[in-house]
Amino acid sequence: MRWLAAILAFLAVSTAAAAAPINTGHLSAELVSQTQGIAPGQTAYIALHQKIQPGWHTYWRNAGDSGEPTRLKWTLPSGWKAGDIVWPTPRRLPVGPLVNYGYEDDVVLPVAITAPADAKPGQAITLKAAASFLVCKDICVPEDATLQIALPVVAGPAATDPQWGQKIAATLAATPKPAGLTAVFQKKGAMVALAIVGAPLKGAEVHDVYFYPFDSTVIDHAKPQRVERGPDGLTLTLTPGYAFQGAAAPAAMGGVLALDGKAYEVAATSGPPPAGAAGLGPPAPKGAAGGAGLGLITAAVFAFVGGLILNLMPCVFPILAMKAASLAAHGGGAQAGEARRHGLAFGAGALITFLALAGLLIGLKAAGAAIGWGFQLQSPPVVAVLALLMLAVALDLSGVFEVGTSLQGLGSGAASRGGLVGDLFTGALAVVVAAPCTAPFMGASVGWALTQPAAAALTVFLALGIGFAMPFVAATFWPGLLARLPKPGPWMDAFRKALAFPMYGAAAWLAWVLTIQAGETALARIFIAAIVLALAAWLAGAAQRSAARGQRPVALVSFAALLGAAALAGVIWPAYAETSGDSAGAKSADAAWEAYSPERLADLRAQGRPVFVNYTAAWCVSCQVNDRVVISTRSVAEAMKADKVVYLKADWTKRDPVIAAELARYGRAGVPLYLVYGANGGEPQVLPAILTRGVVLRALEAAAKG
Amino acid sequence: MLTRRILLAAAGLAAAFPALAAPELNAPAPAFRATDETGKTRSLEDFKGKIVVLEWTSDACPYSHKHYDSGNMQRLQAKARRDGVVWLTVMTAPPRSAEFMTPAEVVRWKRKVKSHATAVLIDDDAKVARAYEAKTTPHMFIVDRAGRLVYMGGIDDRPYVDPASLKGATNYVALALADLKAHRPVAQPVTRPYGCSVKYAPTAPFGG
Repeated sequence: MRWLAAILAFLAVSTAAAAAPINTGHLSAELVSQTQGIAPGQTAYIALHQKIQPGWHTYWRNAGDSGEPTRLKWTLPSGWKAGDIVWPTPRRLPVGPLVNYGYEDDVVLPVAITAPADAKPGQAITLKAAASFLVCKDICVPEDATLQIALPVVAGPAATDPQWGQKIAATLAATPKPAGLTAVFQKKGAMVALAIVGAPLKGAEVHDVYFYPFDSTVIDHAKPQRVERGPDGLTLTLTPGYAFQGAAAPAAMGGVLALDGKAYEVAATSGPPPAGAAGLGPPAPKGAAGGAGLGLITAAVFAFVGGLILNLMPCVFPILAMKAASLAAHGGGAQAGEARRHGLAFGAGALITFLALAGLLIGLKAAGAAIGWGFQLQSPPVVAVLALLMLAVALDLSGVFEVGTSLQGLGSGAASRGGLVGDLFTGALAVVVAAPCTAPFMGASVGWALTQPAAAALTVFLALGIGFAMPFVAATFWPGLLARLPKPGPWMDAFRKALAFPMYGAAAWLAWVLTIQAGETALARIFIAAIVLALAAWLAGAAQRSAARGQRPVALVSFAALLGAAALAGVIWPAYAETSGDSAGAKSADAAWEAYSPERLADLRAQGRPVFVNYTAAWCVSCQVNDRVVISTRSVAEAMKADKVVYLKADWTKRDPVIAAELARYGRAGVPLYLVYGANGGEPQVLPAILTRGVVLRALEAAAKG
Repeated sequence: MLTRRILLAAAGLAAAFPALAAPELNAPAPAFRATDETGKTRSLEDFKGKIVVLEWTSDACPYSHKHYDSGNMQRLQAKARRDGVVWLTVMTAPPRSAEFMTPAEVVRWKRKVKSHATAVLIDDDAKVARAYEAKTTPHMFIVDRAGRLVYMGGIDDRPYVDPASLKGATNYVALALADLKAHRPVAQPVTRPYGCSVKYAPTAPFGG
């Protein structure tokens, strides 16, 4: 009897296999079965298989910003039951600034079918489903098909279908399921924090985290989801959707948490976040160019080497003169011990500033600011104050007045000039101005550090600072070097005065950066402040000279101090006006490049165009040098034209959360970063921080070929 | 001291970092300026003191077709216009895209579908769409007499492409307009928009 059933079942399967897929226009659809039959009272999975034309997609249960999920309407023999579609984890499908959730290429959507207990083995039943789905690319086409599959009723457990059994089983296994996760959400200001904790997330390295909500109104699908790790789970910061604008905020939020190719079903309730869901910063980016998978030791070593190399980057040009002046002051007759103290003071200034900047950056990032390394130079008041400082240093070097010559310790001259405090200050200024640039080795380690807990991050920054300060400190410890410098004399005065000019240049450069950030009106402000500061310096110098003659020019000193303070205050308050949203960089007349936006990049990549992306900033001298010496040259421009490469410029001169997020995606926290996307997709090639024409031309050629 | 001043300035600036503005319910509706099918420049300012409906549409979208082919949208437009409401249909499509229509084509389309809209805005640079974060065709917005955004969302509660779904649908726009006509607050001010995606970026021609 059983034997007969098996033969009947075999015959039935043969008929089922004859049901050819139906081409509905942009996909072909068919019903397929996990097993070769179904036993009475048992459940089997039948799936809708969609083979979708390249470039087209169908939708998940929440279609996202537009679209409509696939639907199945079953017609079953009496007593038979069909469940809902078991939805596999979808993909994000960006359409311009919108995001849809759905499937491309090939997908099976399983449905549980339950046979009645009184089904007769040997019986062949037909399951019918009216499938309707929206297939979209640039446009959407509603398509439908009436599908059917014949399935034999078998006495015992049915054998796996040789063609579809495995695929459906794999789909079912990968389908998001509840995993004992506790999820809670809470509106926090303009955002919604979704905290998720539980065993699968405990201490795990997480990547590619994304929350797909079941309901299309709870979050803004297109907005980035910020992820922070905690010891027991993670917290996602989501942009609330329409539901939160209504009278009653949602009380529950269901969805799928996808990470690292795994996915869990999550049912969140409204309430305060559980402990352990945050505090460890964002997860390390995966597949980031060089930044991923660095250990603390490697990152620290990279940072140290990067710090050393930073001394050779064009970024330090502005402060080179200050260092030289400082070194010369300690040269010649100075005691070796004194020179060392000065060197150490410089080192301490550099290290303290590195740690302070890093600490501030970590703090601000934790508070939600979308910023990266070099953030201080993205603030117009900071740039303006630095420009004035450079001017003050230059005026000091020119001899207009003397820093470090206090009214009490009058006339002690060169010995007190540039005292320990001065060295500390030189070190601090060097870091504030030069460190924002990314040197080779440095990009990956800083990018890594900012994804780590504070202690590890600060270790990396400390290593960076040590590397940066090392050459200068070492020089002061090197007896031969100082001995080789000529004895102090009139040459030193001339040398200092000559060194003033690079400092004037640095002030002018910062004024340029400021006008790019804050427009032309800022130019008037900084110039007036500069003149007032120069006046203050001149008055201070006069006061110092009169004090040297034994007078007490209290009024003069107070007036100079007042003017100096007024100059500083004038560039800090009131706040600078925002310049227009367009790319702030000096626009090239030939328009060889386009302003960067993630949408534009995605669009060009979808069109199969090779793309060169230049992440740059006016305050990054290395970027400017690369730009002028390599990228803007005729040979590179011609190669771009010949290879039909689109040149996108991402200008980070001003604060920009979008660019900061893009940099983070490549494990970076600063500029420069050069990416070359090939015509045939895939990951971009990351070019080195110091470009040569050969490197760029080879990369462009490779990109054009794919 | 100096470093501290710099850090404080940086901290202040970071804290003041502005969030991206999305259209907000009961706040002044985002201003816009666009050319209509007759070449006339239209802006929200022009309709001060009147109720204004913004309707995103695309002739290439099956969801828009569901409402136009059935006459549902035109009936809603006619009723609104009789009540003195300004109805602006917005076509967001970049030039050279499959969905783009020239002003002459829009005039023909308007005649063909018997639209009762006050004007059709040709939003070929997606500026109006960006100001309202329009997502779908159709996506509906209503601005009240005081210029505040009082409704945003879907046209009804049937997010399906199937024309049969119109039967028995609750039309949110009709309800909101009735509320406004009676000087009542809009009972259901935010709903889910549904349909095809609004075309922002230039895309390859159909099938390409």
